[in-house]
Amino acid sequence: MTDLLALVVQQSVNGIYLGCLYVMVALGLTLIYGVLNQINFAHADFVTVGAFSAFFTVTRFATKVLGIPDTGAYLLSLFSALGAGALLGWIVSAAVFAPLRRRGADELRPLIATIGVSVLLENGQLALFGPIPYQFDSPLARETIRLGPIFFSGQSALVVAVSVAAIAALYAFMRFTFMGKALRAVAQDRETAGLMGINENLVIALTIVIASALAGVAGAMLGPVVVLTPFTGASLIVKAFAIVIIGGFGNMEGTIIAGLLVGIIEAFTVQYLGSGLIDLVVFAMLLLMLVVRPTGLIAEHKEENV
Amino acid sequence: MTGVFTGKRGIAFLLALIVIAAAPWLLNSAYWRGILVLCAMNVLLALSLNLVLGYTGQLNLGQSAFFGIGAYVSTILIKTYGWNFWLAALAAVAAAGLVGLALAAFAARLRGHYLAIASLGFAVITYQVLVNWESVTQGVRGIYGILPPVPNAVALFYLVAGIGLLVYFLLDNLVHSPVGDTLRAIREDEVSAAALGVNGAVWKAFAFGLGAAIAGLAGCFYPGFVGTLVPDAFGIVESFTMMAMVIVGGMGTMIGPVIGAVVLTFLPELLRGFGELRLMIYGVALTLVVLFMPGGMVQAWIAFKNKLA
Repeated sequence: MTDLLALVVQQSVNGIYLGCLYVMVALGLTLIYGVLNQINFAHADFVTVGAFSAFFTVTRFATKVLGIPDTGAYLLSLFSALGAGALLGWIVSAAVFAPLRRRGADELRPLIATIGVSVLLENGQLALFGPIPYQFDSPLARETIRLGPIFFSGQSALVVAVSVAAIAALYAFMRFTFMGKALRAVAQDRETAGLMGINENLVIALTIVIASALAGVAGAMLGPVVVLTPFTGASLIVKAFAIVIIGGFGNMEGTIIAGLLVGIIEAFTVQYLGSGLIDLVVFAMLLLMLVVRPTGLIAEHKEENV
Repeated sequence: MTGVFTGKRGIAFLLALIVIAAAPWLLNSAYWRGILVLCAMNVLLALSLNLVLGYTGQLNLGQSAFFGIGAYVSTILIKTYGWNFWLAALAAVAAAGLVGLALAAFAARLRGHYLAIASLGFAVITYQVLVNWESVTQGVRGIYGILPPVPNAVALFYLVAGIGLLVYFLLDNLVHSPVGDTLRAIREDEVSAAALGVNGAVWKAFAFGLGAAIAGLAGCFYPGFVGTLVPDAFGIVESFTMMAMVIVGGMGTMIGPVIGAVVLTFLPELLRGFGELRLMIYGVALTLVVLFMPGGMVQAWIAFKNKLA
């Protein structure tokens, strides 16, 4: 009995770690959707870009140029991935979302345009880095932390800590800063917010930048634990969408709960059904959710949309 | 109402016949004839999606699943049960259509991005079933040695392009009938359409099911053309390719998706000289078309003509 309990706790811990990574990716999608009612299909490719920027920071820049040792180099790479994600977000915002908004595009065109961006990013990285998988080491992944019968790696502790910190910072930003308030206002009613003197284009650009920075950091945390190829992030995008839907489009709390839930369900699917069935289980859950409660776990109230 | 093959439509039909007849002799290498077959299949797929996306306004990202269901049902009936190709094709079209109807009934309440993700989820599930149900589909190992229904690529092209022309003709009649008006009314404003007595759910399911059946029909020809059948041919990327064809050509017009399918089939081939940069250019082109020709190539052409006039 205690063995079973230990197993359940162990898989829950694994699930929470996985779920935190999903939340970092899905939160960005939800943020953009809340403010813009549009989907950035290239979002998960920002994860790949973040992972590659972390790779080059760890293996080249930090260790060879700055001479920073293992752990320092890896922590520095989190920031480089954050910067890479933010920069990419700003470019996509300025080059794709802003022009489409000026033309008053519907929900479909940004989706297609960002599919184009996704194809460009994946194949651009393929041309630059080649198809052979990259491997880089987080020194934390080698550490194993033991709490009674429960084991987890230092890397998963880092993922959970960084995710919690990022979410806390995001909430603090939304709650206590003027820009955060402006962001919530734009999400609530873009036109009225514009009439109140809020620079909505700046707010939207900032939202996309924040969302993309989160994806970049997720990439840096994902990089050491997966085989890194130009298509690593792409496999995440559909699942990230599923999480956003299960949580309720544009709802932050819903996305966080749904991300953790999907992570935990995945961990138990691996334990009891086999890893081949992960996607099947997650998407069956998505379809079930759409039948039973199409508004998501937390219904979409326009006033608390972000 | 003039006759079916008179006037402008008659001329267009005749022109299309001539282009189809001449194409395999203008592009007469084995390689280009293969691309032509692919192009004809893509036209069928783009037409199928356009009915759902362009005319009924349903954001369907799961069309690749119906393409895959058509391919697998027909191939399994032929290879495992020894059915005749045409009988198997009929069953495959029916299967794809019925699954489409079932999904549509299920998704009747969903619209916009919700439908998009639900249909995308359906495509992922279908793909996973194809991968995991190894006793029937052979999983990732694939099914080998599949023969096309006709002996060579030229005949296959004529067959698929002929079916494409027929489907175009039937859909063209459909969208210009009162049914087409009903579908467009639902696309523009479902609530107002309902107030006028239109049962939105039923007509949306009709369009969805018909679109799925046509995609299933295209799927029947794919395995014989390639010779092997693996689940990867029906991943979600295939759905996006179809959607790109519809959008780039001009959704909600009949000729737009056909043009989109032809352009997006040949563009990557013409870019082959660029090697690795090929798909990058494709991605940039897709984004630019959406940015600068929001109505697709057909709208851009009409605007251009009006400017000259």
